Parts: sequence; C-alpha cells; structure tokens
Amino acid sequence: MIMKTITSFALAAPLALVALAPVTASAQEFSKELIDKGRYLATASDCVACHTNHAGGKPMAGGLPMSSPVGTIMSTNITPSKQFGIGNYTEAQFADAVRKGVRGDGANLYPAMPYVSYSNMTDEDIHALYAYFMQGVQPVDEKAPETSLPFPMNIRASMMGWNMLFRPNEMHKDDPAQSAEWNRGRYLAEGAAHCSTCHTPRGALMQEQKDLNLTGSQIGPWFAPDITNDKVHGIGTWTQEELVTYLKTGRLDHRAQAAGSMAEAISYSFQHLTDPDLNAIATYVRSVPSANATQASAPTRFDQGKAGNELAAFRGRNYAEGIKGDQAGAALYTANCASCHGYNAQGTTDGYYPSLFHNAATAGDNPTNVIAAILYGVDRHTKGGHVFMPPFGDQPNTVNALSNVEVASLSNFLLKDYGNAKLTVTPEDVQVIRQGGPSSQLVLFARIGMGAGAAAALIVLGAAVWLFRRKRAQTQTAA
Amino acid sequence: MVTKNSADVVIVGTGVVGVVIAEQLLDAGHSVLMIEAGPRVSRAEVVENWRNAPLGVKGDTSVAYPPRPWAPHPTGAEKPENAYLQFTGPDAYDQTFIRYAGGSTWHWAGTSWRLTPEDMRLNSLYGVGRDWAFDYDTLEPYYVRTEHKLGICGPSDRAQQWPQTGARSADYPMPALPFSPGEVRFTDVVKTLGYNNIPVSQARNSGMPYDGRPACCANNNCVPVCPVAAKYDAETALHRLEKKGVTLLVDSVVYQVETNAQNKIEAVSYYDQHKQSHRITGKLFVLACNGLENPKLLLMSKDDRNPNGVANSSDQVGRNMMDHPARSFTVTTKDPYWSGVGPVVNSGIMQTSQGSFRSEHAGAYFRYNNFARNRFVTFAALKKGLVGKALDEEIRRMTACTADIVAAHEILADPNNRLTLSDKKDWLGLPKPSIHYDVGDYVRKSWEAYSQPIGKQIAEAMGAVDIKISPKFNNSKHIMGGTIMGKDASNSVVDVDCRSHDHENLFIPGGGAMAAGACGNSTITMVALALKAGDAIVDQMRGA
Repeated sequence: MIMKTITSFALAAPLALVALAPVTASAQEFSKELIDKGRYLATASDCVACHTNHAGGKPMAGGLPMSSPVGTIMSTNITPSKQFGIGNYTEAQFADAVRKGVRGDGANLYPAMPYVSYSNMTDEDIHALYAYFMQGVQPVDEKAPETSLPFPMNIRASMMGWNMLFRPNEMHKDDPAQSAEWNRGRYLAEGAAHCSTCHTPRGALMQEQKDLNLTGSQIGPWFAPDITNDKVHGIGTWTQEELVTYLKTGRLDHRAQAAGSMAEAISYSFQHLTDPDLNAIATYVRSVPSANATQASAPTRFDQGKAGNELAAFRGRNYAEGIKGDQAGAALYTANCASCHGYNAQGTTDGYYPSLFHNAATAGDNPTNVIAAILYGVDRHTKGGHVFMPPFGDQPNTVNALSNVEVASLSNFLLKDYGNAKLTVTPEDVQVIRQGGPSSQLVLFARIGMGAGAAAALIVLGAAVWLFRRKRAQTQTAA
Repeated sequence: MVTKNSADVVIVGTGVVGVVIAEQLLDAGHSVLMIEAGPRVSRAEVVENWRNAPLGVKGDTSVAYPPRPWAPHPTGAEKPENAYLQFTGPDAYDQTFIRYAGGSTWHWAGTSWRLTPEDMRLNSLYGVGRDWAFDYDTLEPYYVRTEHKLGICGPSDRAQQWPQTGARSADYPMPALPFSPGEVRFTDVVKTLGYNNIPVSQARNSGMPYDGRPACCANNNCVPVCPVAAKYDAETALHRLEKKGVTLLVDSVVYQVETNAQNKIEAVSYYDQHKQSHRITGKLFVLACNGLENPKLLLMSKDDRNPNGVANSSDQVGRNMMDHPARSFTVTTKDPYWSGVGPVVNSGIMQTSQGSFRSEHAGAYFRYNNFARNRFVTFAALKKGLVGKALDEEIRRMTACTADIVAAHEILADPNNRLTLSDKKDWLGLPKPSIHYDVGDYVRKSWEAYSQPIGKQIAEAMGAVDIKISPKFNNSKHIMGGTIMGKDASNSVVDVDCRSHDHENLFIPGGGAMAAGACGNSTITMVALALKAGDAIVDQMRGA
C-alpha cells in the first residue's frame, strides 16, 4: 500500500523517519483495568477541572484561562493528540511532567500545575495515569491557546531555582505507626487531591509553609479555610461521617457549603471517589493538628448567628431611602437575598438554600467568603443536583450588579446579624475580592531581583508565576 | 462603528423582541444601538417597590414600575380622562405594559403556548379572520429556538404537549414544573368532564439553573416580577448584551422615524428626559416597542412621502388590534384547593380552543390561576368585621377554598379595532394612543354559547358553593395586530420576515405582526417572529 502511494524518494524519506522514531508508549496496548485505574486517579487528581474549558471545550483539551498575579495562563491540551497534546510523551516524560513539573521538551511548567503535590505519586500510579491518558482519553487535535506571560515572566527556566528549593522529590512512603487507612488517606490528600495547594498558607516565595499545613489560605477571591482538627478554627468538631458527607455533596447543613475551587473539587473529583477512599482522606485530614491551636471553648466557625430580620425598620418605606439609611444592609438583603435564603435567613428545610446563620461563610475568621459568595455566587454539580447561586458582581449573568458600597453594607449586615459580628467589611475590601483577590508583590520583587542578581531573580521569578489555582478570568459565565 | 448617535442597526425598544434580535446581530458582528424610552432599574428595586406597596394597591402590577413622566405607561391609578391610553368604542383596550429597560416581560407570567397549525389557517379552514402568511412548519424551528433561547420548560410526554396537531422537532430544554395541590385537584375534576388540564410550557427554570440564571424557588411572585430571575425576562439579557458591546440609551423617547428620498429609513429622533431632541442614524432600523407604541410611532412619523404615516401605504398601521378577551369565574368551594404553590400560571385546558365551531364562534382556553389567594381574599374577610384569630382563620379558609378560573378567547383581526393618535398629549407633548375596540360577535357568541357554559360546568364539578363571574371582558394584556403581517402589501404592513413592505431597511417584529392570535399567550410567537426577523436582518446586512 505504501509503495503505491509513494511517488518519489523525497516523499519516502520523511515517512521512513517516522517509522524509525522512538517507539512511543501509545504503541503499547494497556489493559482495561489499568486504564480504569488511571481514570480514577485522574479523577482523584481533578485534572479535568483545569485542563478543560468548561464553557464548551472538549475534556482535557485545555484552553481554560486562569489568571495569575502576572498574567493569564491557559491550561494545556493533555489529550493524546500527537500534534497538539501529549500523544508523543514517553512514560518517563509523562512522569516528569506530573511529578517534577518538567515538560516533554525539557521546559519547566508553571506551578499552576500542582506537581509539588503530585510528586508523592508512586511509579505504579503514574503508570496507570499514563495508560489512561494515552488510551482512555479521546485525542483532541486542536491547539489550546498558548500562554504568553510578559517578559521576564516568560522565562520558564526561572522555575528551576524555585523547584530546587521547594519541590519535594520523594515518593510517598507509608508511616508504619499509622493504619493502612490513614496512610492511604495521606497519600491521596497530600498527593492527588492536593488539599494543601489551597488550604496551606504560602510563604514569601509562594511556597507552601509546611509548619502551617492546612491552616487556611487566601486563594484568589476565596479563602480556603482551616481544615485541621482545631475545634474552633478548623473542622475538629466534624465527625468522620460528616466530613465524608461534605466531600460527597459539597455541603453540611447549618455548617458549610463548597463554593469556588472547592465546588469544582467536589463536582469533578471528590464525589466520584469510593467510600473507602473518602473515609481514608477524612481519617487523615481529621488527624492533622493545627500549629496555632486555640482554646476549645470559643464558638466555632459553624455555630454563630441566629434567625431574625430588621424588616420592621424599613418595610413600607421607599426603596431608595431604605438603602441609604442605617438598615441599608438589611434592605439589600431583603431585596436581593431573602427570596431564596428566607426573610429570617433561615434557608430551606431541604438545605438547597442554606441558612446564613450557622454557616461558615458568615462565621469565618475573615469575611472573604461572604464577599466572594455575593460577588461570584456558587456553582456546584453533584449527584443530588446542580447547586447554583447566581453572581451579584459584574458578570454577564449577574442578577444585580451590586456596587462595592452595597456589597460592603450587605456583608456587614450578614456578619452582624447572622455570623461573626467582630468582622467588618469596607468597600475597599470588596474591591480586592472583585479584582480576584489580594495581588502579590512578587512582580515588583522580581523586577528588583533582576537587578540584584541572577540567582535571586530566578527564585523570585519562579515564585511570581506561582498561580492562584483556578483563579479564573472574571467574565466567565455559568452558561 | 457604534457611537451614541449611529450604529449599523438601531433598535427602538429593549423588550424581549429587541434583545433577542440585538443579540443575534451582535453575535454576527454588527454594531447595535438600542433606545429605551424608560429607565434602567435593578431587579432589587422592583422587588422592593412591590413589597413596600400596601395590599390595597397590589391589584395593579404597575405599582412596582412607576412610570417616568417622559415615558408614561398605563397604571391602575389613572382617571380615564387623564389616562395614557384613551378609549373609544364599546370595549376598553386596557393593556398593561412597561416602558422600562427590559420591557413588559418584567411582569409576564412566562406562559408559552405555541400556536397550532389550525390557528394559522383560520380563514382557509373556518372562513373567518386572516390566515398567516406562512404555515406552522415554517414557524416551528423558530419556536424551538425560542424555547431554548428563553429557557422554556415543558412536558416530555407527547400527550401532554401543545399543540397536538403540529410537529415538535426538539424537546423542551427543561421538564415541566410540578402542579400545586389545587392544580392536581383541578386536573382530576376536569378529567371527569373530558378535559385534559396540561402543564403550561413556561419560560421558567424548572429544577435546575439555565443560561446562567437560577432555578425557580417558588416565590409565586412571577407577576409582577421574578425576584431571582428564574423566570426569563429581557432584563436578564441586558447585562450580557452590554458585555457583547451593545450601546444602550435609556430615558430616550423616540418620537420620529425619518425617511429619505429613496423612502428608506434614514434616522430616528428622540427626546431625552430634559426634552432635548437627538437624532440617531443607522443602516437598518428595528421597531420593537410593542404593538401599541410601534403603530403610534409610525403614525406620528408621517411625512410628504408617507402621508398616512411611515410603513402605512396599506392604511393597516394601528388596525386589527387584538388581545385575548377574558372572563373569570371566582369559585368558592366547600373543600380546600390551595392555589399558590409554584408559579402563578402552571396549567391549562387548551383543547377547548380548537374545533370546527370556529367557523361560528371563538375558541377559549381555560386556566386555573395559581396565584396564592390570600392577597385577594383578605379584604372580603376584613369587610366581615372579623378581627384577631377569627380574621386569620377566615383568610386561611378563603385562601384555601377559593379559586379563579379564567376563560381566554381568541379574537379575529378586525380593521375597525384601531389605534389612532389622540388629541390628548403626554408630558413631552406627544399624542397619547387612542384605541377603538370591540371584542366582536365572534367572541360574544363564544361566551354565550360555549365558554360560559363550559366554565360553569367546571365550577360545578369543582364543588362550587358560589360562583362570581366577571361582568365584562377583561384584557389579557397580550397586544397583537397593529402592524399586521401579510403577503399582500395592499392589506398588510410587514412581510413574512416582519420587514416593512414600504421601507426595505425597516423591521417591525413582534406581536403586532400576528395575523391571528388564537387563545394562548403571545410572547413565544412574538419571539419566534423576532428570531425569524433577526435571521433576515443578518442576511440583509451581509448583502449591505
């Protein structure tokens, strides 16, 4: 057949080269069991959340815009397309990408890819993941939009120094003093599920501060809260069953519900994991102590506030007057929120609309998630249905584009009547969350570093392109 | 190139017809400028206007939408002599519509019945009224697009869908909403009479978010406003359109459509709220300010080339005004029904709108109103002199044991049902609309011989201990006919794409074009016509 189509030596030569090219693993046939195992691990690793443009893109074909302090990063095509994806990767190249953040061509990935966590993965699991990505994912022969960060952030080699300092290069090893379940849980929570990526505070160079493991961190416009076993700030009051329920459904009635990146983690990852694995994760996470543990007697971030309203003070008055006076926040609440959350903020009995008292969003240690929930809403797909709170920011589908002053008034009302009354919100605070969260000073550091010396510059540059995971372009709709 | 005074396409009106066309054009890469007579307000403000209003004035939905002086619209508080709409003739054409950005879908119920193939061939089949200029199969794909564009939920069971006689080429994007207790009971009762009470297909998110809007959470507040935007209304599209680059002028009252030597439209002029005049030019113009304001504007715009008014060489502009004349049966029952769970209109009997009798009299659509009844029964309870617990109990009893059944009739296109310009002027000095309206023998005969007997039969089967029938025909607020469509330019205003027969760059889509309106609410058909017009405009602009 080939001979018939070849009409000249010039054409035949490149074909011969292809034939002589190193055998890529896609020539192998992997077993269905292995591919299924890889699929499960990919789900546990939540690859699809970032590597798919959820506004109409194909699975794993990339193209999701993620904003970082230094510019927008586009996720890549990780389908086995030979031209546009990772179809030509050998297993060793794949392993280096996942665990070391090094691309097939040797260039460094930006740590938007949580390879710092994935570095604990066993060779066996990498093998299964590889089998899945080569033969369980539909190749998409479409080029994902390229990331182009401005100079000097486009120097990918700058990650090398950062990796040297902050990338663990150790595979998971069981702790013989702990149960098999705990060890499995730690393997998943620290690795595939990459909890610490969001929940562990970052240091000056954006590295995870291991001594503050899981004690909570700002992540884009949201705050990934303390999930240590601290009874006041963490989730030490949750039972094993409650934590598993939360991971399956994204909510615990009268306590907390997942939004932002955690809603995605529930939607794409946790709810699909097996009960033994969820229990293992819960077992491990519930064992993580807080480095800054507090008095156990203080109220937790789940049990503040109570039902009530301030309607009598303004009902019957003109709306424009109502939102100017002392009851501005309450007036904004009844106009914008009460139709779903209830006139007393009591929510609904089925919990689809949560109460706003006894709710981690209003009773947290900081007001970030109150503001973010108002501005960005909630979007969570679970087996129990699609949970959707519309946004009140400036999105195309905003119900009402509230101003910073209005969001601040509303937040202060919610905190005062239903949550942590010690907190207050200013319009400036709202603006910070509206812009996608506090911005990093690293860009500035990087520029100073450029002058100060190459080594410092490389490290700082690396830190600068550390990304707020899934801190998305703000104009994306839910449609 | 779009500026504050010019664009490729200029759309007058920001209601559902205007916004679906605007989005089509923006998506096709054209610049679009929209002009709205009234203000832009937030949903929160409308919701609170309604909640802050005392119970006694809530019979008038416009209390949530106080008109601006420069953009009057009908309110319940007006004395007839001062009212915005002036009436002559035996029946009032007492419509409500809203001159706000987003238009009158702000306060529609969301009811979305398609026409049937027979509805579109009244003259051929029954020898009355007008045929549409095209058949149901031509309109069907646009109905599908409308159902998906607006997010219309409806039953998947073919036996529960409407129409039964016409094809359906795609499912509804969402399932039908469940019935309230009263609707369940009503459905069972009418079944014994041979009537099938089917789920209303409605522009409301049932059990799921859709198009970035949340699921219905059953505030039962669809009219006058959905507080959470689970019901489609055109306001929900405005922010998206702005992100796509539309220029939106509000508080800007267009008062003149200007033609040029080729008798194409050259510009429109508007007054701002300070009575200053401005002129907007464009390549193509769309009038989407509803079936009353469109003919009013065309008649006001008469010039030397168009002495009867713009687009009016046929003398049909303002004629054939239609609605769905309605009579209601307020039924008091022995046993509780309980209306008010879920949306305000959620089911209906449509089969009674069809039949060979249409050669003699109108058909009718019967609906069980699902408004919570407490608002309507409280004053009667107060009048009984009750106080305290006894008053509460009476309100509760009457809320459960009363129900409204409405018979909505079709009306024939009649050129004598006509909008003209009144001598009375509005705040800007522009003429108020004057409407001569007579529901006609076709409707009256239906009421006497057909719909009233059926209504009474239903009421009795419900176990009525008292029936109060509205003494006259009420308006359904479905404005149709004033810029009627036809193939013949001598007796119609627009062609099959809602393009003016007289001016090739003027489109007048919406309810005004409907040649027959049958019994079902008109918005879904208006939007289907808007999408069809939008396709034609995109084609025409490509050639331009």
